Amino acid sequence: MLKKLLRKELVLSMHPTVPLMLLLCVMVLIPNYPYTVVFFYSTLSLFFTCLLGRENNDVVYTVGLPVDKRDAVKARMLFAALFQLLQLALVAVLCAVRHRLGLPANEGGLEANTALIGVGLMLFGGFNWVFFTSYYHNVKRVGTSFIVASALFFAAVIVGEVLLHVAPFLRDRLDTADPLFMPEKLATLAVGAAVYVGATYAAYRKSARLFERQDL
Amino acid sequence: MDVLEVKGLCKTYPAFTLDHVSFHVGRGRICGFIGRNGAGKSTTLGSLTGLVHPDAGEARFFGMDLRGSETAVKRKTGFVSSGVNYYPNRKLRTITSVTRAFYPDWDEAAYERYMKLFHLDEAKTPAQLSAGMKVKYALALALSHRAELLILDEPTSGLDPVSRDELLDIFMQLSSEGKSILFSTHITSDLDKCADDIVYIQRGRILAEETLDDFVAAYRLVEFDAAALTPAQREALVGEKRVKHGFSALTRAENAALFPNAREATLEEIMVHLEKEETSC
Repeated sequence: MLKKLLRKELVLSMHPTVPLMLLLCVMVLIPNYPYTVVFFYSTLSLFFTCLLGRENNDVVYTVGLPVDKRDAVKARMLFAALFQLLQLALVAVLCAVRHRLGLPANEGGLEANTALIGVGLMLFGGFNWVFFTSYYHNVKRVGTSFIVASALFFAAVIVGEVLLHVAPFLRDRLDTADPLFMPEKLATLAVGAAVYVGATYAAYRKSARLFERQDL
Repeated sequence: MDVLEVKGLCKTYPAFTLDHVSFHVGRGRICGFIGRNGAGKSTTLGSLTGLVHPDAGEARFFGMDLRGSETAVKRKTGFVSSGVNYYPNRKLRTITSVTRAFYPDWDEAAYERYMKLFHLDEAKTPAQLSAGMKVKYALALALSHRAELLILDEPTSGLDPVSRDELLDIFMQLSSEGKSILFSTHITSDLDKCADDIVYIQRGRILAEETLDDFVAAYRLVEFDAAALTPAQREALVGEKRVKHGFSALTRAENAALFPNAREATLEEIMVHLEKEETSC
């Protein structure tokens, strides 16, 4: 059933900007740029998808299908996770490409390295928690949910970038090209993965509960 | 056997309460669900389709509780509101291809038959369909997954008389095939033509649940000059209202002898006068 719902997400619900925003991960090839901002575009395309869904009565159509209401939540969150993880995978590939091309160190923010993927996972996890629990509290208030979630997203990006300059561990170990300090970077990746899985799963549990009680 | 049994459905909003709504729909019956705007029809139907989360009560479809068997219930039920109001710019072909995947009992031959019968073009989008065609497409989808119960929320609103008549013919045909229909409307003349049973909701409460014939037979319509009424006649009136030449009101059938000019009332006349009575109380 989830496979069918996921197909419905891709065929009927997905906003056309989703694949386009995904491709913006090539921005990690820009010599100097705050690469964590790249992840914002994924969250923006998710917002567009939810907004389009509101205009297209996507939720009413989905709830009318022979599925449990919580499955509708699960499918939307799987759809989001699919593109978030795909973007992170593409960023990882492009980080390697960047390394292979021998591009100079990034002066605009965190280096395009393994730790960046970990940070991306943390940012996506936090976004999923804030956005989905707010969105499924009231699916008609997509804009409010996105404003709150993206404000916190950017606050986290800014705090992270500041810490990169003031915290010696981050500056000297994580903000370096691969394969330097790989244990620290892999630990960041592991922490990011744990945060992402934990926050996204908790967001699903809470969102499903809220959505089941919601009057549409 | 009942295909739908609703018991004690309650829902409280700040300005409205659905108060222990109970009724049932039998197999092969067309049940008209009537009430004025804001009476609770859409809230009730929303509770039956998962769109509204009721505070209390239960809805059993084919003997199964909606809450525990949502998927199974929805496979055997078709919900049609005033037409397809989703994905206005997607082709019907695309919407159908996604929808059919959710129904193991999907009958492609039936789908093609209904699309042909309703003159629907799969290359069109919902935005390109008239109000009547939108309802017909929603019906085609519901009937193609072999829904045994159709829940229709004001499907004839906004349709021209010919399209309405066509739809009513389809409903009667479906009923004769053993399918059940719960049909919410405030166009009561549609129900005069096709309904077997009536569920009448007023201010969130069920006022009547009986066969259409019994419901209509319970009342007579009288027109009168208010000054000429006897006290006994006045006592027997329900929902007095002004008409072009005097007043009209309902009276219970057992009081009809009090009024020499009493005649049978239509469903619309009964509803209008009962609402008038409620407003004046």
